[in-house]
Amino acid sequence: MGEVDLDKIKVAKVVDARGSACPGPLLEAKKAIGTVAVGETIEVWSGDPSTKADLPRWAAKVGHEYLGVREGDGYDRIFVSRRK
Amino acid sequence: MAGKVLIFCGSDDPQKAFPPFMLGAGALATDMEVTLFFTMNGLNIVRRRGAEKIVLRGAPKTLPEFIKVLQEGGAKMIACSAAFPIVGIQEEDLIDGVECGGVATFMIAAEEADIVLTF
Repeated sequence: MGEVDLDKIKVAKVVDARGSACPGPLLEAKKAIGTVAVGETIEVWSGDPSTKADLPRWAAKVGHEYLGVREGDGYDRIFVSRRK
Repeated sequence: MAGKVLIFCGSDDPQKAFPPFMLGAGALATDMEVTLFFTMNGLNIVRRRGAEKIVLRGAPKTLPEFIKVLQEGGAKMIACSAAFPIVGIQEEDLIDGVECGGVATFMIAAEEADIVLTF
């Protein structure tokens, strides 16, 4: 995977899962990725400290592409591209 | 590496809190890759000043000593954030060297492990 500029990515859907604790953000990511087209990207917002560890592993396992994370003020923004 | 072992640590009862470390030390000694997953009251083991309070008379080492042995041996320690609100703990309360993980991290580690032990 080449260097991806997360600021320039076109995001098809933002999922605000900040009120949700694990496994909520994962389940919301799974639901959201089914609503965008293959090749499009979702951005998951999560205040749960595990989400940035879970989503890359989940993406690798189920065949999507994890693009990266932006760690922000009180929550993380995690980018995943639908690949199948 | 001679295999992977994943140990589920779900209790701070000394009778359940010590065996993961005894077996984990044995697994490291036999060149296995060791991951410990802490959840529910097992989180008290990796909470700052938590392990000192869990005492098992007759055990070969104290729990803080065991944690050091496992960490120095390269064991990976994961704290389950799903149980943080249940146990009343936050990421900052964890001892050094422990990372946060969630259900996906656990299930994928379980699938990749040769052995899963549950305490």
